[in-house]
Amino acid sequence: MHFATKIRTILLGLAVLSLATLPALAAGTVGETAPAFKLKGADGKTYSLADYKGKVVVLEWVNPNCPFSNRHAREKTMSDLVRQHGEVAWLGINSTNPDSGDYLAPAAHLAYNQKNGINYPVLYDETGTVGHAYDARTTPHMFIIGKDGKIAYNGAIDDDPPGRKAKAERVNYVGGGLNAEKTAKNPDPASTKPYGCSVKY
Amino acid sequence: MNAPKISLLSVTAVMAILFAPGLARGAASEWSANPESRVRLISPWQVAPRSGELILGLHFRLAPGWHVYWKNSGDAGFPPAVTFLPAEILGKPELLWPAPHRFDLPGGLVAFGYADEVVYPVQTTILPEALPSPEPAQVNPATGGDSLFIRADLDYLVCKVDCIPYRYTLTLEQPLGNQPLADPETSPLLQAWLDRLPRTLAEVPGLKVSTLLDASRAEQPELEIRLQGVTALTGKTDLFLDTHDLLDAGRPRIKVFPEGVIFHVPMKPREAGKQLPGKITLAWTVSNLSGKGETFALAERREVEVWTAAAGKPEEGKRIPGEAPDRLARLLLAAFLGGALLNLAPPVLALFAGEVLALRQAGGSRVREGAAAAATGVVGASWSAAALALAARRAGMPAAGWGVELQEPALGALSAVASALLALNLWGLVEFPFARAGASRTGTGRHLLAGLFALPLALAWPMPMLREPLGYAFGRGPASVCAVFAALGFGLALPYLVLALAPGVVRAAPDTGARSPRLHEGLGFLAGASIFWTLHALSRQVSPEGLAWIELSLLAMALLAWLRAREGAGRALRIVLAFGLAACAAGALWLADDNRLAPRAAAAQQPTLAMKPHNGLPPTAREPIHNQTSGG
Repeated sequence: MHFATKIRTILLGLAVLSLATLPALAAGTVGETAPAFKLKGADGKTYSLADYKGKVVVLEWVNPNCPFSNRHAREKTMSDLVRQHGEVAWLGINSTNPDSGDYLAPAAHLAYNQKNGINYPVLYDETGTVGHAYDARTTPHMFIIGKDGKIAYNGAIDDDPPGRKAKAERVNYVGGGLNAEKTAKNPDPASTKPYGCSVKY
Repeated sequence: MNAPKISLLSVTAVMAILFAPGLARGAASEWSANPESRVRLISPWQVAPRSGELILGLHFRLAPGWHVYWKNSGDAGFPPAVTFLPAEILGKPELLWPAPHRFDLPGGLVAFGYADEVVYPVQTTILPEALPSPEPAQVNPATGGDSLFIRADLDYLVCKVDCIPYRYTLTLEQPLGNQPLADPETSPLLQAWLDRLPRTLAEVPGLKVSTLLDASRAEQPELEIRLQGVTALTGKTDLFLDTHDLLDAGRPRIKVFPEGVIFHVPMKPREAGKQLPGKITLAWTVSNLSGKGETFALAERREVEVWTAAAGKPEEGKRIPGEAPDRLARLLLAAFLGGALLNLAPPVLALFAGEVLALRQAGGSRVREGAAAAATGVVGASWSAAALALAARRAGMPAAGWGVELQEPALGALSAVASALLALNLWGLVEFPFARAGASRTGTGRHLLAGLFALPLALAWPMPMLREPLGYAFGRGPASVCAVFAALGFGLALPYLVLALAPGVVRAAPDTGARSPRLHEGLGFLAGASIFWTLHALSRQVSPEGLAWIELSLLAMALLAWLRAREGAGRALRIVLAFGLAACAAGALWLADDNRLAPRAAAAQQPTLAMKPHNGLPPTAREPIHNQTSGG
């Protein structure tokens, strides 16, 4: 092999090595552009983040078999926010691995949604690709994406992991964040520690 | 803390049970049970003192595979939340946290907590002024006191892969009296878990801790915690960070060495672009340390210096609004001069001398062409280094520096390998960077290759003049990095540029003629001797064992090169030996990285922070195992 070719090969190899570690970069961080995705919903339709360009989007990682998701569904924590903020696109994302005991088939998920008054789309991320792109760790794990397409909030739904407080007494971070977005302000806090079950990747 | 004098009192307690029936109450609540776990509230006292500290315990027993959580639950879950009543009597109860375990969950997630059994000690204080005076009828004649009804409203989450939250109210009727009596079952149990609470720094004499948060790559800072003067247990010692408002911690890389352990923790800022303050307070627990025949955990909370520049002092890399516009020009000049001075580094000088000899022999127009090619190689290598440094920073590798400030031992090893190759080349054992005498290809391509070699040769040589330009450049962004590296490259290429512009200068060099091979061999010794410097620099960054392996790799390179250069070596064997030589060179780099020991440059310069008592954990009921002194 010619020397110049050797050198090119070495440099290329180094560059490839550098790029190989890029996925380790932070994902889902507040202030960064929200990773794009296109996922199929429990209703069979395909949803793309790009469809909501210019709108505030809320992503909620959900698992009906997780007691935390289930409690918030029963308490209508999310549904009430969806009703209060009609201008917001609210998407549930279920990243549960089909091999997990928590996996719920689309039909059963739709029945669960209907039972709990959930009328926003729930998308299936069975490979966990989108979950990992956002570094979603818990159910529920909440993200607010601003009109500029950047992540404005990342964290818990509220300040009450055990669900001890009355609903009105909780600090609902997502509700506060959406109110801030209405007035073109940044959510405060912009990030909290999410709580709940681990996402069943 | 008024420690329960358990050992002394246990006999008394047994006697009390035997001779004072009616005192069986008071040491534990009933179990609250579910298929995954059971929990109760315990007290070490059958009769507790009427005032002062009262250590209670939340005692969990867990079904196999299930766990409850540490104060930082990890990626999911939440720690037990408990409210104690009567609040006016118990002061502000505080849950204490034994060192946790790490549980790996699907998807690369982790949880921190406890399996099988755990007692969370609870530190409370009985406020005697809030205690109602006992009605004479309620006073127990055996104890001379009455009872305190303690209630704990508990929420906790128990997880295997699935999680189940539970809520219980635990109640305990705690007799109080003037003659405290320890409980023979709960008292040693609680004591055992108090013993498992992490020690403070002051309780481990001789232990030195240094910390640094390297935030020169704002998108992925790295925390370094270095413990020296303690034995870490490979595969067992682990690090757990408390939750922080600004940063999430990733999985630590743990490097155990004979005198201690170094943790490197990738940190993820919760908000992109938000500048970290100069110092942040971090708290952590290290489990499974060993010293004086005991295994213990260590907990520490301290202010950690945040290092924001690529090199130099923390302030150097920051953008300074309104800074003097001529600063860039001044720093580019410094980079150029620094690059030019690097030509005096022995291996770079040997390379240049070899080039001059080659060009002197070539003569005519080939001097200009060859010098230009070499200069192109030097500048090209410099730009390539800039590109690689930027890519490496994006990919999560540490900041750039120069010479002894190089934070990557692999780069120091690269310099040693380059010097070794140059020496072997000059001794006639390998074909590059210079062509062997009489080789068919001796054109500008070979001079280009020689030029490319200059930068790796110069990497390990100290050049303080480059510190500020590099720090400035990496604080500014890719354009500045390219500009500074270009200036550095042109400086390093200066002798070749002079030859290209004035080829006649080469005639000033003596025409060595037949002595040329001897001169080359002499220059080879200059290059070979320079390896000692690079190894000396590496000795601060890699473990002694690692350094020995690197030296063996270099020796193996020499051996393979010698075997390969023997006249009897066939083509196939030469190819095999060439691969072996390349493998040894790559191995040296890998060994340097794998055996990295030295803290980053700034950490080495940072004085070890003064040790201070941990303020998150109280002294425990046990006797301090070591005196309350510590090293700095």
